[in-house]
Amino acid sequence: MRPNINYLIAAGFVALIFLTIIYVTAILPASTFQPEATRAANVYVEGSPQFKGREIYRREGCFYCHTQFSRYQDREMGELVKAGDYVNETPHVLGTERTGPDLSNIGGKYPDAFHWTHHMNPRVVKPGSIMPAFSYLNDQEMSYLVAYLQEVGKRRKPPAWVAAPQEYRDRYHLVAESVDVNSSAAANAGRGIYMQNCAQCHGIQGRGNGPVSISMQKKPANFTRPFYRSYDDATWFWRVAEGVPGTRMPRWYKTLGDESMAYVAAYLKTLPQDAETPVANMDDIDRADKMDMNYWQIEAAKNSLGQNDPFQAYAPTTFKAAVGGAH
Amino acid sequence: MAWLNRLTAEVFSNEPFSASRNFLVSAIFWLVIGVTLGTLAGALMVWPDLITGIGNLSFGRLRPAHVNMVTLGWLSMGYVGCYFYILPVLVRRKGIWNERFANITMVAWNLVVGIGIFCITNGFTEAREYAELGWCFDILVLAALLALGVNGYMTVLTGEEKKWYVSIWYILGSLFWFPLVYVIGNRVFVSFEGLNDSIANWFYGHNILGMWFTVGGVGILYYLLPRFTGAPLYSHTLSMIGFWTIGMFYAPTGTHHILQSPVPEWLKAIAVISSVFLLVPVLTVLTNFFMTMRHKWYLAADHIPLRFVISAGIAYLLTCIQGPFQATRSINWYLHFSNWVVGHAHLALLATFSFIVFAATYYIIPKVTGKKIYSKKLAVLHFWLTLIGWMLMLISLTIAGLIQAAGWHFSIAMDQWAFEQEPYMLVRFLSGVMITLGQVFFLFNIYKTVFSKDAEPAPHSPTGIDFV
Ligand code: HEC
Ligand code: HEC
Repeated sequence: MRPNINYLIAAGFVALIFLTIIYVTAILPASTFQPEATRAANVYVEGSPQFKGREIYRREGCFYCHTQFSRYQDREMGELVKAGDYVNETPHVLGTERTGPDLSNIGGKYPDAFHWTHHMNPRVVKPGSIMPAFSYLNDQEMSYLVAYLQEVGKRRKPPAWVAAPQEYRDRYHLVAESVDVNSSAAANAGRGIYMQNCAQCHGIQGRGNGPVSISMQKKPANFTRPFYRSYDDATWFWRVAEGVPGTRMPRWYKTLGDESMAYVAAYLKTLPQDAETPVANMDDIDRADKMDMNYWQIEAAKNSLGQNDPFQAYAPTTFKAAVGGAH
Repeated sequence: MAWLNRLTAEVFSNEPFSASRNFLVSAIFWLVIGVTLGTLAGALMVWPDLITGIGNLSFGRLRPAHVNMVTLGWLSMGYVGCYFYILPVLVRRKGIWNERFANITMVAWNLVVGIGIFCITNGFTEAREYAELGWCFDILVLAALLALGVNGYMTVLTGEEKKWYVSIWYILGSLFWFPLVYVIGNRVFVSFEGLNDSIANWFYGHNILGMWFTVGGVGILYYLLPRFTGAPLYSHTLSMIGFWTIGMFYAPTGTHHILQSPVPEWLKAIAVISSVFLLVPVLTVLTNFFMTMRHKWYLAADHIPLRFVISAGIAYLLTCIQGPFQATRSINWYLHFSNWVVGHAHLALLATFSFIVFAATYYIIPKVTGKKIYSKKLAVLHFWLTLIGWMLMLISLTIAGLIQAAGWHFSIAMDQWAFEQEPYMLVRFLSGVMITLGQVFFLFNIYKTVFSKDAEPAPHSPTGIDFV
């Protein structure tokens, strides 16, 4: 067969384009995309427990259920990651599925003992969890794994847990020129708006237990949680304006003007932010955010168990000692 | 030891078409194991404490074992089995270039799949999705791929027929692209740091689907369609446009798997645009499929392999509507990370490409062994169990995925929606059981055909309608 020269040229040309595409999209980024390490980048010294823990994380396939990058829309998963956070993540463990929560900010979220218990049997601390029990790991491996988890994102501690986007900061500063949000007059005005618009859900005292809340799956926010100490004025303003998608919390900017929302913000920040409602009955549990072991849950567990550290109570004796040692 | 001698003779045989048969027979074996592992992993999503204390059977190890088993063990070997029948037939050659060489490759491939995946369940894994096999297996896989490539190319070059039917293009294309993609995607050969590693990983993860399973599957489809219907392919021009555009548009799409991670924006933009452009090759395939099938749909009543092809075509339509639209930023923003995507993956690899290989197996096995398929009933059962199985799986995973996506997207605490998924996960498990059962029937049926001595000889049937 004599190959047709025109045809060969065309084929060669197409092959060239094809190889160029592959080069540009798979190989080239490795030389042009070299983000600088950020302060938040995890550090794994070779041979350290964190390093070995990461190997176990990869070996056990944790990343098939857990991602390690938070996105713009992930409001409750901590600060947004940046490219420079990943300089030490080789091979990567980004993950593509969230059967369980994102872990990019897991470091420091729970005490070590929680992780030990949770890995031994997730159902002990999170009823209904479908995470596998990693009870087949030995104590040594478990301590490496926990050391790794505590490293992930621990340097990414945000100044505030939630921060208003710049757009809202700007908008807020514009209103703040005419409303003195630190004055009691503003707070009082806000109180009026609050009682008319918000109290039916958020309750007269802002505890999230207004009469309408009874019928709700996702309960209104309890503004007296200590968590809200981290909100600055602009954040309050933003949260009121944008509402909470997926819940009955409306986007108030559609109803209230910027000034009214600033008044409400002025009022909300005056609420006492230290009174976590103690768990007195099952209804209160229903209302609580069960994902995090928060203050009152730990307190409640302490009370019912008469112990200082509730996790120790669950932890089998085999690794109680190890946990003790790790502290 | 007579049986051992016979076995060695069969396995290392130089008979024409023996490689095709051996590849298909081993593929079906891995298929059954692969779907069983998948079903087990599905069961763990419903009853997480079903198996405890055994690391080898924990979800994080079953899942990669399942994925590798069905991609490398079943589908890849099945493809090669089909190639080694289709290529020589299309170039009028008696058997491929070197059957014994191909059979040795077959043995090596089986060892890689068996030992490699056993190692994965024992924790010897590279832990990069789709590229989990350890480095030593990667080298073997590459060697095997090159060996298969040489065999495929030599078969075509030494054939009598010099006018190449489109399937040859597709098949040779896939045999060229897969080794290339494999080299870039596995860290033994090319290793990058940090996020660049994820880019390379997903270049591989998507292109094993795009440049290997899609290209090869469409090639086989283009061979089977005219055979089964007795009608010529609707348009060769369209099929060639499809071939070149697959090559152009598939290569850069990988980044759509990490569209919301902090990788460079320009890369994401290219990935999204080319993902949408995939509609071009997809529409050529679908146009060809539907136009060739025109006036022939009634054949599916009696033609069992054709039924598989038809459902594959329709599943391909569904997959390829889903694919480009999932890759766009606004949809990906919502759906990513959820079980929806798992449903999509099964739609592509099970409902489309596996069905093509099922059809091809029912046609090729009688051709290469000269025996009629053992039981039509089992084949029909296989069809319905697998078809209803994947439909249930797709529906349940899609709904579960929507619940999950809503949960993550609106930052609703996981406890409030995790339980809502359970019924769908149960349905998913049941669909897995159905599919597994179907594949057991398939295995039994084909093994009965291949290994029994007194099987009915295959009747003369140009469209293959009387083979099953
Ligand atoms: C089958 C999927 C699956 C696998 C595999 C898995 N997890 Fe989980 N994980 C979950 C689910 C679901 C949750 C949420 C419920 C809970 O907290 O148990 C979770 C929660 C967690 C949490 C608590 C996160 C938080 O912010 O509250 C941690 C930490 C965690 N997993 C670590 C791991 C580690 C380490 C591994 C590997 C050894 C692993 N997971 C493997 C599904 C999985
Ligand atoms: C129909 C009931 C309803 C009404 C009326 C309502 N809220 Fe809400 N609010 C909710 C729900 C439900 C949430 C979601 C709580 C969550 O995300 O856990 C919420 C959340 C919030 C949050 C966010 C808290 C956070 O965690 O950032 C703020 C701020 C808030 N509401 C302020 C207001 C103000 C101010 C008004 C009146 C102008 C108001 N709400 C009226 C139901 C309501």
